[in-house]
Amino acid sequence: MCVSESLDEDLCVAALEEASRLGCGYAEVRLHVNNYTGYSLRSGVTEPTLLADSRGVGIRVICGGSLGFGATNVLSRQSVVEAVNMAVKMAKASGDGGEKYALSAEEAVSDNWRVNEVKSLYELPGDTVISLLRDVDSASNRDVKGFSFPVRLLRIDCSKELKLYMNSEGSKISSVVPRVSFHSVFVGLRDGERVTVSVPPGYSGLGGSGGFELIEKLRLEEYVSSRLAEIATTLSSTTAPPRGERVDVILGPNVASLTSHESVGHPFEADRILGREAAQAGESYLKPGEYKVRLGGAEAYVSDDPTIPNSMGFYLYDDEGVKARRRRLLQAGYVTELLHNRATATRFAAKSNASARAVRYSVEPLIRMANTYIEPGDWGFEELLKDTKRGVYIKSFMEWNIDDKRLNQRYVGLEAFLIEDGELKGSVNKPILEISTPKYWSSIDARANDLEFYSGMCGKGDPMQGAPVYFGSPHIRLRDVVLG
Amino acid sequence: MSFDVNLEEVSQVVIAQAKKLGCSDVSVVVTRDHTRLIRFANNLVTLSSSVVETRIQVYVAHQTRRAVGVTHDTSPQSLERFVGRLVDSASRLAPSDDYAPLPSGPFEYPQEQNYDKKLEGEELVEHAHQAVDAALKAGAKRVAGSLQSLVRRVHVSTSAGVAGDDSSTKILLNVRAFTEDNASGHGLSCASFLSEFNSEKAGRAAGEYAKMAESPRQLEAGVYDVIFTPTVVANILPLAEAASAYLIQSGLSYFSDQLNQQVGVEALNVWDYGVYKGGLGGRRLDDEGVPTQKTEIIAKGVFRNMLHNSSTAKKFGTKTTGNAGIITPQPNTVVFGEGDSTLEEMIQETKRGLLVTNNWYTRFQNLRTGEYSTLPRDAAFSVVEGKIGEPVAGFRLSDSVLRQLKSIHLISKTRNWVEWWEVETPTLAPYMLIKDVTATVAY
Repeated sequence: MCVSESLDEDLCVAALEEASRLGCGYAEVRLHVNNYTGYSLRSGVTEPTLLADSRGVGIRVICGGSLGFGATNVLSRQSVVEAVNMAVKMAKASGDGGEKYALSAEEAVSDNWRVNEVKSLYELPGDTVISLLRDVDSASNRDVKGFSFPVRLLRIDCSKELKLYMNSEGSKISSVVPRVSFHSVFVGLRDGERVTVSVPPGYSGLGGSGGFELIEKLRLEEYVSSRLAEIATTLSSTTAPPRGERVDVILGPNVASLTSHESVGHPFEADRILGREAAQAGESYLKPGEYKVRLGGAEAYVSDDPTIPNSMGFYLYDDEGVKARRRRLLQAGYVTELLHNRATATRFAAKSNASARAVRYSVEPLIRMANTYIEPGDWGFEELLKDTKRGVYIKSFMEWNIDDKRLNQRYVGLEAFLIEDGELKGSVNKPILEISTPKYWSSIDARANDLEFYSGMCGKGDPMQGAPVYFGSPHIRLRDVVLG
Repeated sequence: MSFDVNLEEVSQVVIAQAKKLGCSDVSVVVTRDHTRLIRFANNLVTLSSSVVETRIQVYVAHQTRRAVGVTHDTSPQSLERFVGRLVDSASRLAPSDDYAPLPSGPFEYPQEQNYDKKLEGEELVEHAHQAVDAALKAGAKRVAGSLQSLVRRVHVSTSAGVAGDDSSTKILLNVRAFTEDNASGHGLSCASFLSEFNSEKAGRAAGEYAKMAESPRQLEAGVYDVIFTPTVVANILPLAEAASAYLIQSGLSYFSDQLNQQVGVEALNVWDYGVYKGGLGGRRLDDEGVPTQKTEIIAKGVFRNMLHNSSTAKKFGTKTTGNAGIITPQPNTVVFGEGDSTLEEMIQETKRGLLVTNNWYTRFQNLRTGEYSTLPRDAAFSVVEGKIGEPVAGFRLSDSVLRQLKSIHLISKTRNWVEWWEVETPTLAPYMLIKDVTATVAY
């Protein structure tokens, strides 16, 4: 299906013409369709299937230097024209108290792109998905190390996002992105003890952009049951980790991937640095005039790349019509690039690097990460282990948070092991890595070559926008840190 | 902006189609929102937006197999396709023990609605300017925030002969003020009626807190008695959400196995209201068309009632409390009972403690036991020997909800409405002094 077959280009043209008639210096229109189907199983019982469709037009105008936004899901010419008028009225209402909004000069683009599916999510019979979930449920419904898992929540999300983007500068881009992901949560019981764990841990997911073949490739039945068994084994530990002393810590990709998202990706969003998200998602430890600083050591490398094929955050053009590319955020500990949209690029005298995304028609595009990851190094995991005399290997985590300037982060280990003389010894219970961001990125001395990605939804904005992303990392080692 | 779709007509078309496709139960909730938003940062308006949207939620049961869908696409052809897909999805599932017939009407609905016609046309930008000006006057250098007004109309129809309408309005201001050294303060004003809304007061509070919080010292890790503002209480003690029978039966609530148990101090009382007269938002009828009601969740510290829809009520052998959510019962308006203390008395009572005015990023380590940590943000102060001391920063609070509920020492008479980024359900919350809360710091 060609995108333009299902999206009414005439409505977009009408919106742009109306904005021009009203004297707007710039206008863009996004006809945006989201279709979602969610399948879930709770302890072996099918939950109601969830469908969520949205379809509407979002319009952004710059009028008298001020930004206005309007949206409607009544897809008639009259309603769209009304929405443009409302956006213009809102922009003008800002008056002298409004921020002057200027966009970086970017090339007008005409393109049509899509992510292909081998097994179409739209045509997928629901019973195929439920049957897979049943197999996963059966495989994970067993006792491990005295733990039973009477509550098992399994979910597969399938979605398709179609967009037609046009602006007053001549850009016209249509796209189709299907996405699919798996999530699971378990309640474990043993002798009155109750725990909640997720697979993958940290309430992250597995999946990407593409068809159902991405889920089939995961071999979920085997993956979930084996991971649950590994987790249950470590839950049995009552051994305290070494606390209050300096040790080396190896972080698994599950933990380290989130650190790249939380303490590099977010604070490198230029709208946060400029204070535009101050009242909601917060600000950044980077300052507008002095952001080219050294944040970490020689082994601190982080990139964000929307163009990774089949990734959850995949796109070729952002929602301002700018062509996507990889952004290297941190290189040998130095801040090298921020995440920009066209407005922040102007403020920083830069070009946009295509970071603007809106998740549905009714919201403005914001600066978002796509697929943020710690770049792999050349160590093998076994080499890393052998090279560590005394430390802790935190393979996965359960609880985390970070302050709103992104300086003070915490991860509570789920699966964790003592390391002595280069070997894994027994499990340790809930080591807490609570560390400042500069200390964290300065402590990395080695990166393995085993990059892994996890999927998730990144929250930002008001109204809240959950954007599909990947976070990735190989195993990494931190030298001389203190655990709680 | 005109609302040009007849809500009731749309519902009847959907019900007729789903029944024709063999469904025994159908509920349709049509919601029409007009949301206006002003965002501001660095003392300037950064975005003005106006969004009109209609969404239609449909629940179908087909031989006890269930599916729920939401669509924003209201054209007749699209709706027909949507309902067809929904019924097809349901029919592919196994029969469900969770199925319960939709409650039969007709019902009588409460008269109260928190709706202020004035908000239909109220210009927001002046209120935003008032908040900014007040914060600057109080000593702030930079002010950011969001101001949102919502005009909502809802129509619920079901195949069991139920039909009802609802309307509500809200105006919500979240304002954050910063001083030169980036100390910050937070203010909220949340109301359904313009007369109850005060942007100037919220802006001033944010500015004053920011000024007081300048040059904070790093807090030492330790155990403190902590005074929480209503904004924080509403976030760290989401007791009504945890009372959802769905979460309890799933084992994902710290109230699982706690019914009729003493979970908190005797002074703790919490209700869910359908509509709290003169309060914030609320609903007269739920997604199954059942009249909403006042439900006692915690009385004198005892966990008294779960929140139910028809499905969970059947499971637990009781009646619905009018809190559908088709799958998950959910609170409508959370009200904490008032205490007999004041903020001043709490401060006087505290020998070695903290005053935390705002927080964010609350994450649970174990949903079943309620262990969590959260990060104070904006102004926080030490409290020493009954007096507010220095501003403090750089710490996180790490505790368990169940421990905290039994360690509440004082509850204020004053309560404030809270709804913002970190608190989704409208909540009337007091100040609380909670004993022995653990504060940790980053290495």
